Amino acid sequence: MSTLDQKPTRGEGRKDPWSQLLVKVGKSQDRQAYHSLFEHFAPQLKYYAMANGMASHAEELVQEVFVSIWRRACLYDWQKAAASTWIFTIARNQRIDMLRKMRRTSAEMQVETEDLWQIPGEDDNEPVTSLHRLMSERRVRESLKHLPEEQITVIAKVYMEQKSHQMVADELNIPLGTVKSRVRLALNKLKVILQDQKA
Amino acid sequence: MTRHHPESMSLMEYSAGNLSEPHALCIRLHLNECSLCRSRADTLDSLGAVMMEQQPKVSVSESMFDRILAKIDSSPTPQPAAKPAPRISILQKLLGEDINNLPWKRQLGDVSVLDITEKFPGQNEQVVLQKLVSGGKAPAHTHRGTETTIVLQGAFADQNGVFNQWDFVVLTDQDEHKPVAVGCEDCITLSVLSAPVKLTGTFTRMLNPFIR
Repeated sequence: MSTLDQKPTRGEGRKDPWSQLLVKVGKSQDRQAYHSLFEHFAPQLKYYAMANGMASHAEELVQEVFVSIWRRACLYDWQKAAASTWIFTIARNQRIDMLRKMRRTSAEMQVETEDLWQIPGEDDNEPVTSLHRLMSERRVRESLKHLPEEQITVIAKVYMEQKSHQMVADELNIPLGTVKSRVRLALNKLKVILQDQKA
Repeated sequence: MTRHHPESMSLMEYSAGNLSEPHALCIRLHLNECSLCRSRADTLDSLGAVMMEQQPKVSVSESMFDRILAKIDSSPTPQPAAKPAPRISILQKLLGEDINNLPWKRQLGDVSVLDITEKFPGQNEQVVLQKLVSGGKAPAHTHRGTETTIVLQGAFADQNGVFNQWDFVVLTDQDEHKPVAVGCEDCITLSVLSAPVKLTGTFTRMLNPFIR
């Protein structure tokens, strides 16, 4: 089920293979690299679309995400995000955008999806914090290996199925407090929780 | 440097793309000014990517890649050096005006409000800008639901401390507060209310400020 083991992991301060491919697409419109990214990410993206209730638009979402990857690859900066993270945020935004457009006309949308949800590394003037960001992706992978399954299940429902904590609680038939504490434990491990905050 | 940050749960909901537009706006305005929370959000985006990778895969139709190529060939190839055009601030885009020049509606004493809910069609929440004149006090009130607030200008203080520009605060029905604008600028906040505010004083209750 998981391809984690066969997947390349990010080396210290170096590009992982997917990020290398994405850089090639950006620099030289390399279609072979683009096709390799497609083979790897398209099936993930299709599941992502289906898991959050867009089954009838799943292929449309995958297609739009890939067109967007092609057009934006020139803006991709491997020092600011791993390819997988960058592609995840594009897919997330595409999903939000499609849902927004189904609900209303574009004339009503004063604020664009990307004004609200940013793609990492774009429109970003801060000095390169690459090491931090690279560490962050590596740390997430490393930490997830040690997280109990019950915590991963809860987080996956939030990310993949767009479920609120309450909906996750109802579905798993556990108290809301239990859902929150599982998320909290996981986020604490990932060092997302600030010391003086509850969660 | 902001001192009051969004909770991790909210940042995760933001990263997952599950927040309503008004809530996402509050988070985004904070992220734009807070490098600490940007790095928290980066971690959460990576979490999303790793989650997606660990899920099952679904094969796509065979012709899809060709369709994508046809689509990208039908429009010009992007320029490698292209950068996005500089963006005007989100608030400017949303409001079309500087926040100080808006058609504020004076409520009680030092408080003015402007309801901008209509800027977010199809949402259930009420979205209001509130202005407290420099040195002014707002009447004590609690909140029937949850109120998410970000300070856009100036600062206010209540029993929980001082909230400066871009600080983030979430108040629930457990919290009664009586904010005072501190500093020499008017304090302007953006609030997203999941339910209308409830005043606690009998006199002010009749006047209904903040309540729509």
